[in-house]
Amino acid sequence: MGGTTIRLLLAVGMLLLGGGARAQQLSIWHDLGDNGTKWFNEAMEDFARTHPGVSIKPVSYPTDQWFGRVTAAINTDTAPDLIYNNYERVIRIATQTGKIMDLKAALAGVPDHGYLSDDDLRVATYRGSMIILPIQRVQMAFGARKSWMAKVGEGFPVTWEDTKRTARKFQDNDPDGNGKPDTFGFALQASNARSLIHMLDLFVFGSGLKHTVIDPDGKIVIDEPRHAQVLEAFLRIFANDKLVPPDTVNYAFNEMYQVIEGGRAGFFRVGDWNVNKWTKQAIEGDFVAGPWPKFFPDLPNAVVIGGMRGVAVPENSPNKALAVQFAQFLLSKPAQQISLNTVGSAVRKDLDTSALVEQSKRFANPEWNLVAYDFPESIHPWYSQLEEAYYRKLMAAIASPPADWQAFIKQTAEEMRATAKTLAAKPN
Amino acid sequence: MTLLRHQDRVFYLFAAPFAALTLVFGLWPILLSIKVSLSESTTALARAPRFVGWENYATILADPLFAASLARTLIYTALAVAVNVGFALAYALLLNSDVIGRGRTFFKLAVFLPVVTPDLAGYVVWRWLYDQSFGALNAGLALLHLPGFGGIASPATAMLAVLIAELWHHAGFYVVIFLANLALCDKALAEAAAIDGASAWQRLRYVILPQLRPAILINLIYALIQFLKTFTVVVVMTKGGPNGATNFVSYFAYRLFDQGEYGQATAAGTILFAIVIGISALAYGLAKRGQA
Amino acid sequence: MTRPRPLARIAAWAVAGTVSLLFLYPYLWMALGSMRSTRAILSAPLRPWPEQWTLDAYIRLHEVAGVTLWRAVANSLGITLASTALAVGITAMGAYALCRRPGLLAFRFLRGGFLLTMMYPYMLLVIPVYIVMYRLHLLGGYTGIVLFLSLGPVQFFLFEQFFRALPAEVIEAATIDGAQEWDILWRVVMPMARPVVATVSIITFLLNWAQWFPVLVVSTTPDTYTLPVALLNLNGELGTDFQGIMALSVITTLPPAILFLIAQRRVIGGMTEGAVKG
Repeated sequence: MGGTTIRLLLAVGMLLLGGGARAQQLSIWHDLGDNGTKWFNEAMEDFARTHPGVSIKPVSYPTDQWFGRVTAAINTDTAPDLIYNNYERVIRIATQTGKIMDLKAALAGVPDHGYLSDDDLRVATYRGSMIILPIQRVQMAFGARKSWMAKVGEGFPVTWEDTKRTARKFQDNDPDGNGKPDTFGFALQASNARSLIHMLDLFVFGSGLKHTVIDPDGKIVIDEPRHAQVLEAFLRIFANDKLVPPDTVNYAFNEMYQVIEGGRAGFFRVGDWNVNKWTKQAIEGDFVAGPWPKFFPDLPNAVVIGGMRGVAVPENSPNKALAVQFAQFLLSKPAQQISLNTVGSAVRKDLDTSALVEQSKRFANPEWNLVAYDFPESIHPWYSQLEEAYYRKLMAAIASPPADWQAFIKQTAEEMRATAKTLAAKPN
Repeated sequence: MTLLRHQDRVFYLFAAPFAALTLVFGLWPILLSIKVSLSESTTALARAPRFVGWENYATILADPLFAASLARTLIYTALAVAVNVGFALAYALLLNSDVIGRGRTFFKLAVFLPVVTPDLAGYVVWRWLYDQSFGALNAGLALLHLPGFGGIASPATAMLAVLIAELWHHAGFYVVIFLANLALCDKALAEAAAIDGASAWQRLRYVILPQLRPAILINLIYALIQFLKTFTVVVVMTKGGPNGATNFVSYFAYRLFDQGEYGQATAAGTILFAIVIGISALAYGLAKRGQA
Repeated sequence: MTRPRPLARIAAWAVAGTVSLLFLYPYLWMALGSMRSTRAILSAPLRPWPEQWTLDAYIRLHEVAGVTLWRAVANSLGITLASTALAVGITAMGAYALCRRPGLLAFRFLRGGFLLTMMYPYMLLVIPVYIVMYRLHLLGGYTGIVLFLSLGPVQFFLFEQFFRALPAEVIEAATIDGAQEWDILWRVVMPMARPVVATVSIITFLLNWAQWFPVLVVSTTPDTYTLPVALLNLNGELGTDFQGIMALSVITTLPPAILFLIAQRRVIGGMTEGAVKG
C-alpha cells in the first residue's frame, strides 16, 4: 500500500498542478479492449519520434460505461484529451455535452486525404461540425460456420430461403456433433433498442434497402412492402421460428459474442474488427464471411458499411493542440498500417495487406457489394427516442407474437408516425 | 456553564471526523442531487447551471415509462417483502423448533452465507444459472420432469427470477433477526398452550406471532427499504429487461444518468427517495404505535 | 416439550436440508464452472464434479478488465482494510460523542442527517458524489474511495448501542480521578469496547469488500478497480470467457466466505444487534 499511496499522492499533486510540470501525456478513452490499447500504444511510439517526451494513456471501458463516463467527464471539465468510438456514439456525446470540437480545420491540415470520400465525410459531420476524424471504416458482414455448413450439406446462403433452411438445420441437425440439441440458427442481440435495431439494420441494408425506420425527410418507412417483408422475416426468427437462443432478449453484444465464440450459433455478424481474433482464437477460423441474405431478386445484397469509427477531441481537452496533432497523425500511412494490423480496419487504401489473415484481406480489399448505413440520428436529433419506442413495440411482439404480422407492422408504422410527429414538434 | 461548554468542546472534536464525512459524502451530495434535479441537464454539472424549476419533475412524471417503472417497483417491493419475510419466518420457526436438534447451525449458516457473499458475484452466478441453454436451473427442472422456467429470458418470469436471486442474497438476514427474537420468546407459554390443547396453528397465531412482533416490524422496514432500492441485481442480470420487465426506478434513473439526462435522473431519484422516507416513516410510526 | 418423534425430525431435516442445499448450490456451480469447458457444461449441466481438475481459467486471469489480477486483489485488500480501520475509528468516536452529549442540538442534527443519508438510494448518488470528488480533487484516487466507504449505518448503530449501555459509573469514576475526556475514551472506554470493535471491524470488512458502485464511480482508470468491479467489467468485455468469469467470482467470494465462517457468531450477532437497534 505504501508505494501505491505515494503514487496516489503524486498523481493528485500532478492533477492539481495541471500536469504542466512534466512531459505531456495524452489520455484517450476507447472501448476496444486490449486490441485498442495496443493500437494506441504502438501508434504513439511512432508519433513520439517527431514529438519527443509525449506519451499516451489509453483506457478501455465497456461500451455502456464508456458513454456515461465520457459524458460526465466532459460535463465536469475532467475530460480526457481524446475519445474514440463509433460515429453514432460520438453524436450522442456531442448532443449531451455540446463540447465536441469541430475538426474540419484539423482534417484540412492532413495532406492528401483523398481516400476519404464525400460519403465518409458526411458520416463524420453532425450539424455542420466535423465531430470525428474518421480513422476506420466499419464493415459488417454475414458470417457462417464453415464446418457446420459442410455437416448439414449447405453452402454459404444467398437468398433468405437458403438462410432460413440452413439455420433450421443448424438448430436441428446437431452440426457440432456433440449429440445435444444445443445449437442455434443465429446469434443476435436484443437487450436494448440500439442492439436490436442494429441487428435489423444489418438485414435491411444488407438486402439493399436504404432506411430502417425513417428516411431523411422524416417519412416512416417500416410498412412499405419491402421493408415490411424483411421486418417480418427478422421478427419471425425470434418469435415464430425461434432460431435464436431464448436468452437473446437479454443479450447485448458481449453475450452475443459469448454465443458465437462458444460455438453455439451458425449465423452471426462478422465485423472487420472480429476477424483477427476469430481466425487465431475463439472459433479458430471456422467461419466464412459474406454479404447479408438476399431478399429481393432485383436488389443486390451487400456487406454493410456501418459508418466510421474515429477520434474526437472534447473542447475542454487538457492538451487540445497536441490531441489534435495526434488525431491527424492517426490518418498518416504508418499509423493507419498499425490500425489495420491491430484492430483490422483503416480508411486508407494504400496500405500493405500482405500481413493480414486471409479473411481480413477480404475486408481490406473488398470485392463484395457494399451498402452504407444512413445514420438517421445525424438528421433527426430525436431519432434515439423514436427508436426506443419502436424497440418496445417489437419486443412486445416478440414476447407475444401477433397472428398477422403485416397488420402488426401496419399498426406499428401508424404509431411511429404519431410518435415521430410528437418528437419533431418538441423543442430541442 | 462555561466549564460545561468547555467539556462539550472535546466531544465536538470527537465527532468532527464523523460529522465531516456525513456532511461531505452524505448531505452535500443529496443537496447537490436535488439541485441538479432543478437544473437543465447539459449545464447541470457545469459551474453555472441553468435552473429550470420543476421542469424535470414535470417531464418525468408525464413520462409513461417512469409511471410504469414506478408501478413495477412498488409491485416488486410488495411481492419481495412478503416472500422474503414470509420465507424467513417459516424457516426460522422450523430451525427454532425442537425437532431440528443438531444441524441447526449448519442450516442457519447455509442461508446466511449469501448475505456476506458480494452481491455482484452472487448475481453473476445466478445470471448464468438461469441461462436457457447453459444453466443448471432448467436442467434440474427437466430432471424432475417439471416444466422449464423462462427465468430472465421471458418478460413474464423475469421479475420472479430477480426476486429469487434477491431472496437468496437477503433472506438469511431476515432469518437471523427472527431467530434472535425467537430466542427471547417464552417457551413456557407455547408449552402451556399445548397442554391446554391448542393446535399448532393456534399456538403460532395466538402465542408465538404476537411475541415476534418486534422482529416482524424490523424485517418489514428493512425489507421495504431494501427492495425499493433494488439495483445491483438488475445491472448484473437483466439490464432492466426483457422489454422493461425489471426496469425498476433505481435502474431507470441510472440509465438516464448514463444518457446524460442528469436533471431527469436526479428528479426520478429524488422521487424515489421521498417514497423511501415516506414509507419508512409510516412503518416507523406504526411500529411506535404498536409498542405503545 | 415431549421428545420429538423421529418421523417429524426426518421431515424437518429434509425441508431444512433441501433449502440449505439450494442456497449452497450456486457456490458449487460457480466453482465447477471455473473448471469445466463451455462445451462440457452444455452437454452435462448438472454434473456435480469437473471432468478434470484444472486451474487454467485462474491462470488465464492474470489480467482482468485492464488491470492485473494482483492489482485488483491488492486494491480490494487495501481499500477494504483502510476503509474498515477508518470506519471503526471515526464511527466509534462519533457515536461516543453523540452518546455522551445526546442533548446537543448540533448532535441531534448530525444524527438525523446521518440517518437520512443512509436512506438515500445509493446508486443515485453517482453523479453528485462524482461532482463532490471532483471538487475535492479526489477523483481517480484511493483516498476518495476509502473515505466514501468509511460511513455505514450498521457500524454506527452497534457503537451507539454499546456506548448507551455503558454504565454511567465507569465514566463518573474516571472523571472523579481527574482523567481527561481523551484519556477516558482511550484508556477506559475503548478497552471495554474491544469486543464491539472486533465485531464492527469484521462486519465492515465484509460489507466493504462487496462494495462496487462507489469504486466504479470514483475510479477514472482501471488502476483503482477492486475485485467486484473487475468482475463486472470482465462480464462486459468483448467476448469474455465464462470460465474466467466464474473463476473471478470464486476469487471474489472466497475471502469474505472464509472470514465469515471463522467469525460467524460475531458476524450474525453483530448484524442482528445493529439491525434491531436501528
